[in-house]
Order: sequence, then C-alpha cells, then structure tokens
Amino acid sequence: MLIHNRRHADLWTLLAPPAIWALHFLLCYVLGSVACAKAGDPFAAIPLPRLGVGLATLLALALILVAGRQARRHWGFGTADPPHDDPTDDDRQRFLGFATLLLCALSFVAVLFVALPALTIADCR
Amino acid sequence: MRDTSGMTGLWRAGGGLLLLPGCSGIQSALDPAGFEAAELARLFWVMLAAGTIIWLLMLALSLHAARRRARPWSPRAAGRLILWGGAVVPTLLLAVLLVYGLVLMPALRAPGGPLLVEVEAEQFWWRVRYHPPGGAPVVSANALRLPRGERVELRLSARDVIHSFWIPNLAGKMDMIPGRTNRLVLEPRKAGLYRGACAEFCGASHALMAFEVEVMEPADFAAFLAREAAPATAAGPGREAFLKHGCGACHSVRGTSARGVIGPDLTHLGGRRGLGAGILENTAAQRAAFIARVGQIKPAARMPDYAMLPRGELEAIAGWLGDLR
Amino acid sequence: MSTAPDEARRAAQEARLEQAWETPRGLRYWSAVNNTEVGRWYTATAFLFFLFAGALALLVRAQLAVPDNDLIPAGLYNQAFTLHGTAMMFLFAVPIFEAVAILILPTMLAARDLPFPCLSAYGYWCFLIGGIFVCGSILFNAAPDAGWFMYPPLTTDPALTGIGADIWLLGLSFIEVASIAAAVELIVGVLKCRPPGMRINTMPLYCWYVLIVGGMILFAFPPLIAGDILFELERLAGWPFFDVSRGGDPVLWQHLFWIFGHPEVYIVFLPSIALLAMIVPTFAQRPIIGYSWIVLAAVGTGFLSFGLWVHHMFTVGLPAISLGFFSAASEAVAIPTGVQIFVFLATMLAGRMTRSVPMLFAAGALAIFIIGGLTGVMVAIAPFDWQAHDSYFVVAHLHYVLIGGMVLPLIAGAYYYFPLVMARKLSDRLGRWVFWLMFLGFNIAFLPMHVTGLRGMPRRVFTYPAGIGWDTLNLVSSIGAAIFAAGVLLFTWDAVWGYRRRPPAPRNPWNAGTLEWLNPLPGPEYGVRSVPAIRSRYPLWDDPDLPRRVDQGLEFLPDAEEGRRETLVTSVLDARPIQCLRVPGNSFLPMIAAALTGAVFILTTFHLYRAGLVLGLAAMAAIILWLWRGTAVIPEKREKDIGQGVALPLYASGIRSVGWWAMFITMTGDMTAFASLVFSYFYFWTIHPVFPPPGPDGLPLGPGLLWPGLAALATAGAWGLMLAARRWSGQGGIAAPRAALAGAALLAAAGALAMLAGPWAEGLDPTSHAYPAAVWVLLIWAALHLALGIVMSLYALARSLAGRLTPEHDIDLHNVVLYWHFAALTGFVTLATVALFPLVG
Repeated sequence: MLIHNRRHADLWTLLAPPAIWALHFLLCYVLGSVACAKAGDPFAAIPLPRLGVGLATLLALALILVAGRQARRHWGFGTADPPHDDPTDDDRQRFLGFATLLLCALSFVAVLFVALPALTIADCR
Repeated sequence: MRDTSGMTGLWRAGGGLLLLPGCSGIQSALDPAGFEAAELARLFWVMLAAGTIIWLLMLALSLHAARRRARPWSPRAAGRLILWGGAVVPTLLLAVLLVYGLVLMPALRAPGGPLLVEVEAEQFWWRVRYHPPGGAPVVSANALRLPRGERVELRLSARDVIHSFWIPNLAGKMDMIPGRTNRLVLEPRKAGLYRGACAEFCGASHALMAFEVEVMEPADFAAFLAREAAPATAAGPGREAFLKHGCGACHSVRGTSARGVIGPDLTHLGGRRGLGAGILENTAAQRAAFIARVGQIKPAARMPDYAMLPRGELEAIAGWLGDLR
Repeated sequence: MSTAPDEARRAAQEARLEQAWETPRGLRYWSAVNNTEVGRWYTATAFLFFLFAGALALLVRAQLAVPDNDLIPAGLYNQAFTLHGTAMMFLFAVPIFEAVAILILPTMLAARDLPFPCLSAYGYWCFLIGGIFVCGSILFNAAPDAGWFMYPPLTTDPALTGIGADIWLLGLSFIEVASIAAAVELIVGVLKCRPPGMRINTMPLYCWYVLIVGGMILFAFPPLIAGDILFELERLAGWPFFDVSRGGDPVLWQHLFWIFGHPEVYIVFLPSIALLAMIVPTFAQRPIIGYSWIVLAAVGTGFLSFGLWVHHMFTVGLPAISLGFFSAASEAVAIPTGVQIFVFLATMLAGRMTRSVPMLFAAGALAIFIIGGLTGVMVAIAPFDWQAHDSYFVVAHLHYVLIGGMVLPLIAGAYYYFPLVMARKLSDRLGRWVFWLMFLGFNIAFLPMHVTGLRGMPRRVFTYPAGIGWDTLNLVSSIGAAIFAAGVLLFTWDAVWGYRRRPPAPRNPWNAGTLEWLNPLPGPEYGVRSVPAIRSRYPLWDDPDLPRRVDQGLEFLPDAEEGRRETLVTSVLDARPIQCLRVPGNSFLPMIAAALTGAVFILTTFHLYRAGLVLGLAAMAAIILWLWRGTAVIPEKREKDIGQGVALPLYASGIRSVGWWAMFITMTGDMTAFASLVFSYFYFWTIHPVFPPPGPDGLPLGPGLLWPGLAALATAGAWGLMLAARRWSGQGGIAAPRAALAGAALLAAAGALAMLAGPWAEGLDPTSHAYPAAVWVLLIWAALHLALGIVMSLYALARSLAGRLTPEHDIDLHNVVLYWHFAALTGFVTLATVALFPLVG
C-alpha cells in the first residue's frame, strides 16, 4: 500500500498525504453542495451530510497518521538532521521521508480546517 | 468632463462630511449603519490591527535579516525559526480567525422579518417590489426605502445578465443571477441616506447603475409605503404628451393608461432624489436631458433617445414627471 | 597538464559540438528550435505583452484620475480593462514562467536542450500568433469587453457582446494549448533530463517548483478549455449550457473558470518565488535552510490551490456550509506560503548577506507580498469578502499579490539572470532607481485602493461621481501608476539598450552555487562542454574543480561524433543515466504547424468553418510530418559511448522513453478536461429536480441503451486489439500486429459512429435543453478521442510498413497503446454516464 509498509519512499508516497486531503475536501464539498442543492428549505437542518463530513474527517486523519508513521520510518526516525543533501540512497530516502512528514502535518491541519464548517454551520442558509 | 455633471450634485449635498479623511461616506463599508455592516466593519478592524502588527514584525525581521552580521545564526536556530514562525504560529492564528468567520457567517444569514422586498436587476436599473405583511405589493424602481430597526428580507434576482446588489453601509453584497433568487437580510440601525451600486460588471453602463437608499423611522416608512402604493394624481400637458408619444409602452404610471413593464415604473418618480438609476440629480432639466439623450448619458441603455420631441413637449413631460410624488 | 594531442582532440570535439548545435543565420534563424533561442523569443514576447497590458492599465488609470471623466468612452474603457487583465494573465504571467524555465532550466540541469525542442517552438509560435490576435483586436474596437473572467450570460448572448467574446475564447484556448505543451516539456525535462547523480534530494529548488507548477497547469488549464468548449458551443451553435431558460446555469461557467483561475494565481506566483529560492542562497552565500520545507510548501500549495476556487464566488449565494469549506482551505493555503517566506528569512539570517539589486527587489517583493497575503487572509473569510468582493479592495489585494509575489521577484530574477543570457550585468545604479520608482509608485497607486474599495467603489467602473469620497484617492492612485510605469520604462531601457555599454560579465558573476552558472559567458550554443556528474545541491561551491573538468570535456558526452544533437536521459529519483537522447534539429515545421493551428482558431472566430476544417487537416498533416521525421528515429547503432566507459542506448521505448512520459502527462491533462465535462453533466443533475428531463412523450430523454452498448463493445474491441498489437509485436511478430492495428482502427470507427448514433436515433436536440447538449458534448468528446485513436493506430501501421517501427524499435506502438488506455477509459466513462447513470440517478 502506498502509505503503509512501503519499503522505499518515492514521489507517489510524497504526494499521498495531500491527495488524501484533496479527496476529503472533494467529499465534503460534494456532500454539502448536493445536500443543499436538493434541500428545499435553507433553514432545515442537514445532520446526515454533517455526520458524513465528520466520519470522512476521522478516516482522513487516520490515513494521514498512517502515512505519517511510514514517512517517519523513511526519515529514519529523525536520527539524522536535515538537510539530507548527500548523494546517497539513504539521504534521498531520508529527504523524501522528512518532506512527506511535513506534508502529513500540513494535510492534517488542512483536513481539520476543512471539517470546521460542518461543526459551526447546521443548515443550508 | 462627461456631460453628467448633475450626477455629482445629488451627493455633494452631504459632501462636507466626506472631506474628512477616513471612513465615513454614503457608500462606505467602514461607516456602518446596519447590523451586518457593523459586524463586518468590526471584523475588518480586528483583522487590520492584527495584520498591521504581523506586517511590522515581518518587516523588522526582514530588515534585520538583510543586514550583514558578524555571527550568522546556526542552521539549527534558523530551522527552528521556520518551524515556529513559518508553520506553528500562523496555523494557530489562522485557526482562530477561521473560527471567527465561520461563527459569524450563519449569524449574518439569520432569517428576516415579515417585510419582504423583491429587487430585480436588469441592464442598468433596479425593479423594486415591496411586500408589506398583509398588504398588496407596491411597485417602485431605482430607490429603496427601509424601516430602521427591522430585519428586512430582500429577494434578489436578475432578468438579463448577472448583477450584484451592494449597499456598503448596510451589508455585504449579494449577486443577482438569472434563474436564481438569492436572499439577503438587512437590519438598518441608523436612519439616513445611503447609496447602493451594482458590483458585478454587467455591460457598458455598469458604472452607471446605482440606487438611492433611505433608512427611515418605522412610522415614516409606513407613510411612505402608503404614498407609494397610491396611483399618480398629477395631470397637465406633460401627461398628455407622455401618453401621446407612447412612453406608456415601456413605463407604467399607475392612475394613467401607461402600463408598460419594460422600463422603470415612474408612478412616483418625483419622490425620488435621483434619476436614471442614481446617476443624475432629479431636476426638470436633467429629466429633459435624460429623455432626449439617454444613449449618450447611459451607453447601451435600452431606452431610445427622444431628441426629436418638440422642446415644449419635452419640458412638459419633464415637468410632469417631477410632479409625480 | 594537458598535452598537445589532447588539445587538438578537444578542439575537434568542440568544433563538432558547435556544428551540431549551430544556430542558423539569416531567415533560417527563425527555424531554430534550441531552447536558448526559443527561450529568448518567448521572454521578449511575453515582456512585450506585459508592456502592452501595462499601457492599457495607464489608460484605465488616466480615465479614473478624476471623477466624471470623459477621456475615453465606456466601450473602449471596458475593452481596456478586460484586455489588461487578460493579457497580464494569459500573455504575460503564465508565458513568462514558461519562457524563463525554457531559458534557464536546461542550464540548471546541464542538459544540452529540453527533450522536445520542436514542441517548445510550436508552443512559442502558438503563443505569439494567439497573443497578437487577441491584443490586436482592440485596434479594431473588437476586443473582449466583459472582464477577464467573461461571465455569461453577458458574454454568451451575441446581442450583448460582439465578436470580442469569441476572440477571447478561441484566442486564449489556443494559447492554453501552448501552455500545456510547455508544461509537458518542463515536467519531462525535470524528471528525466537531469545530469547524472542529481538525485531528487539534490535537485535545485527551481526544478521542484517547475515540476509542481507544470503539474498544476495540467490540472488547472483543462477545466478552462472544457469551459471554453461549452462556451463556444453556446455562442456559435446555441447549445444552452449557461442559458437558464433552457436548463443551463451561468454559475457553471464560474465554477469551471475558477477551478482554473485560482490555481492560476499560484501557477504564476510559485515560479517567481522559485527565482527567489535561487537568488537568496547566492547572496547569503550559503545553502538554503529548509530545502524540505520548500518542497513541502510547493507541493502543499499545489494541492491546496485546487480547493480555493469558490472563494471567487462567495457572493454567488451558495450555502454557507459550502463557503465554509472553501474559506477553510483558503486559510490553510496561507500556511505553506508563510513557510516559504520564513525559509528565505532563515537562510538570510544564517548567511552573510551581500547587498545587491536582485536582493533589493527580493526584499521589496517580500514587503509588498506580505501585505497582499494578509489581505488575502482577510478576503478568504467569507463574510468579509461580501464587502470586499468586486470592489477596489480586491483590486488592491490582487495587485499586491501579483506584483509583490510575481512581478518584483521576476525583476529580481531578471537582474540576477541577465548576465547568464546576455553576458553582461544590468546597471546597479539604474537598478536602484528602477526599484524605488516601482516600489514607491506601486504603493502610492495601490495602497489607497484598499480604502477606495471599502468606501464602496466597485471595480470595473469607467467613471464615478464626485463627492462620494473617491476623488482624491483615485487621483493619488493614478499618479502612483505613472511613477510605477516610469520604473518599468527605465528597466526596459536598460535591458534593451543600456546594458550594451556595460563590460562583459565574468564567469559565475555572483559566485552562485548552482549549475546554471557553470558555463563561461556568453555560453556556447551547445550548452555545457561536457555533462558533469553531480554530487551536491551546490556543485559550484562544493566542487571548485568542476568547471575545469567540464571545460576540458572530462565529464560525460563531450563530443558529437555523429554530428547529432544529443542530451542525456536519466532516471526519475536518482538520475542514473539511462539513455543518450537525440533531439531534433532546426525546422520550420513547428512554426508552420502553429500557423495552421492558429488559422483554425481564427477562422472559427469568424465562422469560416469550412476553411477552418481544411486548415485543421493541414495542421494535422504538418504535425504528423514533424513527428514522422523527427521522433522515434531508429539510430544507426544500439549504443553510444558517452565517456568514462559508460555506454548508453540511443533508443528506448515504453516507460524508458521520454515520449511515453510526454504522452502520459498530456493525457493526464486531457483526462482533467474530460472530468470537467463529466462534472458539468452531474452539475446539471444537481440543479434539476428531474434529470434527465422528460421528452415530449413524457418519458425521460436519453441516448438509449442499444447504441451506447454497441459503442462500448466496439471500443473494448479496438482497445483489446491495440493491446494485442503491442504484445504480438513484442514477441517479434510483424504481420499480426499490423493486422491488429488495422482492425483496431476499423473497430474504433465503428465505436465512434455508434456513440453518435445513440442521441441521433433518439432525436436529442442539443439546442433544446442543457441535458441533450451535455450528452452530445460528452459523446462527441469520446468519439473524437476514438477518431484520434484511429489516426494514431494508422500512423503506427504506416510506420511499421515504412520500416520505422519494428519489434525492436517500438516507441510509437507503446505510446499509441498508452493513448488508447486513456481513450478507452474516456469512452467507457462517457457511456456509463450518459447511458447508465439515468437508470440509477
């Protein structure tokens, strides 16, 4: 699997965490906008789509954590400091792991941000 | 200079106040006269203060960084600066701001009160239809009067192209899109005269699509509505000329045989301060000029020029329209 | 010490390299396809469009200097601001990225050229022709006049907008094609044409940015192309995608436009920041601190920028919860942006700064951009945007972002890279003047606009009344604009004439660490003397002996024995050399193909469809001729010794060939356009309570099941035969793959016809409602993909018959089969959407 048990880091493992964010974002948007496009009353509550956003968020966060664990392993658990700029297989792996770890952190925060509206807004007004 | 010098006169009356630098104005988001605008102005000031502090800090840091120093920072310290300054602190600040905005949004879109006003935009003017609770609809155009202290729900739509409804002193804007009806709730809190404008580019005369807004005491508003609902009573040669030249094909003047629905309703034109969707002062001379040379004053407007009208009749029509109060 | 025979051998090598890479003289100069020439033309042309668009801005500011001004009429003003925005975005901001990248990327990679020089040249000529067509329209009072985002229905109704809208749509679609071509070229360049040993963790940061931005172009431009197709079908053929009265919705265009439009902002911003990522370490005289953080920021921004588009639509009246998602993503994107700024500051703090004009511009850019970023955070809060949107506040915000984040870094880059291209530095003294004129002029012009906007002035107004509080602010803005323009003119003078008086620049004049400064100045036409193996991020700092070894031809590929243009292809992650790629030499074909392609778009604008079709076929013929002659050429020997005992193959097919990568990347963009069309179909489903709508007989409309079913079978058959062709060819077959190719073409023809037969037989009238129009457009799209598949299969067949495609040399077959994967997927998804979804929807 791309985010778990992958021996070598590469460009795909690097792109996986933000791709999880993108899928989560797309799902939130589709859930919200389809529910509201089909709803008649803008002030009627939409609990189900909000619940869907909540579940999707938990799933996305979990996946990002898994990806982050793998990235930390690729990074070598921080045994060496950046800049990871030696022309070796090890440093290439460490660099990709570290960059992926950073992307995991950003994706994690971004997923949380995107989930917030479902917490504060209860209808289609 | 364009030949619409009159359009300035209308607003110059209150201009003394505007010479003050800063925020006041009849079309200023920073001079709020309603609940929504006040909330947004406060949001702006909060963000401006925070933004200014951040900018000054960043500037100081940049200037410091640009200096040649004897002892450069260690890479480890510089790395920590990226982590804390670039990632952690901004994330926290942005989270706080985001929550502020997300909590504010539903509050600003709370349901409106019993009074409903339909506004329909088209190139380059506004149809206005008041729906007082329990009463018959009242048709008007290019001017909006609102009772102070009431939450009024506006139903916004457009007939031809996309327009946008914006009274900065009262609230943010809302687009008017063909095929859709958008809601906007206003809660004016300060009586006075304001100005609204079309905020979405809508064609050649987009710049010339404004309207007057008056926030009135509730009793005054009730009186205004009763007056606006009544048919026109003025008579005279202007009325005969108006009907003879077929103006009624496009314009309505209730109480006459003029029942056109293509152009703005003129039943109480004399009661409005502005002319031509808020671009001219409503005087007899401007009315005559508008009728004769509308194509020049308002490019691409649908009304044809009536420059061929005999002078006398033109002035009579312009005079009579002013009597429609 | 080198000996005399050594010297002689080296001189002979140099002479051969020079001959192979010689730039033609006289009229034939314009047949050049080498990145140095094309890059210079590209840069100069984009800069000319910048000056043109700037002149329009001055016209706008002159009109707004005083209230009730009648300097220019409303119609011309509307054309001026529309063309200003359009030209700045499409003819300057994006092309200048491509131009600069084509110019400096190969030097940074010590590559002799990019992998597809003819494609770059084709892109350039498309850009030039399209740009002149769009800009020239204002001379005929026929320019687009509805703002650079062209909202329908104002723009779809021919009664409201004239031919300007068609010029915008067709002219820019054409240029978008050029941008995608450049993106393909640059992505493959970064991934596959690095010098040996330049691993993914030692690649210059500029390359990371180019990679990310290239990828963003692939996902951002196609939705606009899809939107343009819908738009033109509505304008030219009356298909009502955006017409409410017939089931369309004008808001759909806004979605498609901004799915492009917001990433676009980052597409122009990131490459300029990339220049800063090269400049800052040089003047701090130390490696960048936070290399990984920059990668995080570039990749993160690339992704997040696709979740922001609705923040241009906050006032459309969408539900608050939808606005919330986009508001949140818009706040989140500020994080990676902030990280980049702190990386630069950290590098400066950890280094020893030297004063220089590029750094002056970099610092000024930062000061301005931070303001733009902060106002960006403000307008990303949806409720505040309800006030700021479409007012001068937003005009101020976007100029702070674009001038601070794009123009000033670019000028910093111009001062920095000028000696690399012209072998002389620009004037420091004038540079400081330029900076202060631009910096002060900019702030005088745009800082007051924040206030103007909050005091209620909407954007895109050709006049405004006196006395509302906008008079003084506007006059100040106009004066500032004039000062800014003076700075631009001074820069232009120095860059065009003034620099000639300066002394020649020494080698590596800024003491930089990256490879683009490896060559002596002016650089030879063949690029590097020999391609070095790279072992660090800043090889010129870490390996002072490198220039000597390179100059003496001691590194790879020091010779052009066969007189061919050659460059190295390496592996993606670790840059292990895998192929010696021969790239095509000078040719007029790209120019001719671009002229013919341009003519198709121009003729369509004027509704001359028949002539357009003829020239379209001619354009296709020109492109096929160029591919036939210049690509997948079977070499005279299998391998070539590139020095140091390394022998590399001259021919590689499948995933090892650069053409395969280009096809894969192009088809990714193609799939994005397709996804946008599918999105449109489902968008209509969300806005209509009953979808598909009932026909005259009360039953739901649709293409039926019979024809789509047959089409699916035929498509599957054609695809299967293509797979078989590749398999049989791989097993050494000749006749069997040929038969399979011919059969695939036949089945594809049947499939395409069956696709179109469905809605035809059911009598779906695309002008009656958005639903049939959406069905037709999807099926035509899929059928055209099959038609192109036929051309490709027949091309492969012809190559096989001509002996240019053999079991051993099968680049074309692999690439055509790769195309077929995507074409078949397009067909299946289309058929499922139009035929099966109504059964469950």
